[in-house]
Amino acid sequence: MDDKTRTAAGIAAGLQGLKYDDKRLAEIAAEVEALNDAVRKAATERLTFDDEPAAFASLMEREARQ
Amino acid sequence: MKRDALALEDLSTIADAIAARRISSVEATEACLARIESWQPRTNAFLRLHKDKALTQAKTLDSELAAGKRRGPLHGVPMAHKDMYYRKGEISTGGSGIRREWRAPVTATVLQKLDAAGVVELGFLNMAEFAAGPTGHNVHHGHCRNPWDGTRVTGGSSSGSGSAVAARMVYGALGSDTGGSIRLPAAACGVVGMKATYGRVSRAGAVARSWSLDHVGPLTRTVRDNARLLAVLAGHDANDSTSSQKAVPDYEALLDGGVSSLKIGLALPDDGPAALDAQIGAAVQAAADALGRIGAKISAVTLPDFTALYRAAEVMVKCEAAAMHRPWLEKQPEAYANQVRTRMEAGFFIPATQYIDALRLRAHFVAEFLATMDGLDAVLLPAIPFPIPTIEETDVEAKGGPATLSMVGRFTGLTRPFNTLGVPALSVPCGFDSNGLPIGLQLVGRPFDEALLYRIGHAYQGVTDHHRRVPA
Repeated sequence: MDDKTRTAAGIAAGLQGLKYDDKRLAEIAAEVEALNDAVRKAATERLTFDDEPAAFASLMEREARQ
Repeated sequence: MKRDALALEDLSTIADAIAARRISSVEATEACLARIESWQPRTNAFLRLHKDKALTQAKTLDSELAAGKRRGPLHGVPMAHKDMYYRKGEISTGGSGIRREWRAPVTATVLQKLDAAGVVELGFLNMAEFAAGPTGHNVHHGHCRNPWDGTRVTGGSSSGSGSAVAARMVYGALGSDTGGSIRLPAAACGVVGMKATYGRVSRAGAVARSWSLDHVGPLTRTVRDNARLLAVLAGHDANDSTSSQKAVPDYEALLDGGVSSLKIGLALPDDGPAALDAQIGAAVQAAADALGRIGAKISAVTLPDFTALYRAAEVMVKCEAAAMHRPWLEKQPEAYANQVRTRMEAGFFIPATQYIDALRLRAHFVAEFLATMDGLDAVLLPAIPFPIPTIEETDVEAKGGPATLSMVGRFTGLTRPFNTLGVPALSVPCGFDSNGLPIGLQLVGRPFDEALLYRIGHAYQGVTDHHRRVPA
């Protein structure tokens, strides 16, 4: 079991109370790593301290033409 | 008018004929029921048919009209809906085995609006389990089949909605769209589907897939029908805090503005996961040419790289789905199809900070997309980048394997970005592939520009007849 799979195993059993076999934990670890990396990179490139989730709804209303 | 000919008419024509008392709601309902009798065995589009209830409703609506009371613009028109819209006291499965016998505690806002507009409810339609799946497979209730070729997928997750409207079993249907679930079945079945702006239509009383990305919307045979339906469905709802306070335009009254001087960007991705099959690209190019001939100014546009946006959307869906499904995932994980369950599980492992950052990124993605749209009124692109595959070759539950998973994953390559962006996207039939299956285009607009998309789609349908073809 590699470090990332071991981390996933810890989250599953220690924090979420879920049981998965090692093969599935390895798949999940790889999937989560790819998603986390992509979001972290996009966040580093774009986000500032003042960005908040609700900015999306405000922007939609503001950008409407009618 | 003969019964089958009545079923083949579109929603607006039928609504107007009932209003003028040229036909009755009972006649229209019987026409749909006859059509359902012959097409349900071929499509498995209906999960529950309420024949007697629908006929009783139709009789009541005919009596009301005879007494001078017309409830609204859909008075007496038979419809059916994806089985995820709650009606108080009635079964609502969400396409799942878990909720096979579950009864809803409330009625969805959109069903209340359709009731007030005078719709006859024929029943509820097949869908992907908990709206999770782009093909129309369903291990609990049986796969839904494409009326153009029963061996091929309908697209999903609003599989029954696409199939039933295309086979002329109903005049219109509600679907929902989290990553393409209205537009994919609309494209694959050859009908019109609108995913309106996030917040345009209330989600209250509908099964959620992802609160942040779910959109409720109509599937119909024509753009005019769709415009009429959206006008009924749209508007603020106190039961959905994300619904917009913006006034709802009279979409149908704005249909005939034409496309003269409108600037439309044509996007035909030639690489990446959504790279186009040549015949799909040719059909959408032909649609652009048709719009150009009636006055639209067409120019090529390159869409932004949606890779990060796509991953952010996956983070939102997985985290939100994992949270809402946790009690069932803990107690009865075997009650889900494997591919439905496994697509949610990563949500338990993604850090909260990553989920929040995905939400924070959304406004940036919108700003980047609107910059691409600068100077354009709409963007034209395909809905599905390849010809409609068979049920067998996309059956991840039975077959699995990387090739199958990759093909299923590519289904949403051109639709999911617009759920994250929240902007309106309309799918309209634009041809047929070499197997005789429909091809759909997408028109994407700025926030709350549904009226403009309808105007373009209506103008296009005025010079083409793809939407008039009926599966035999």
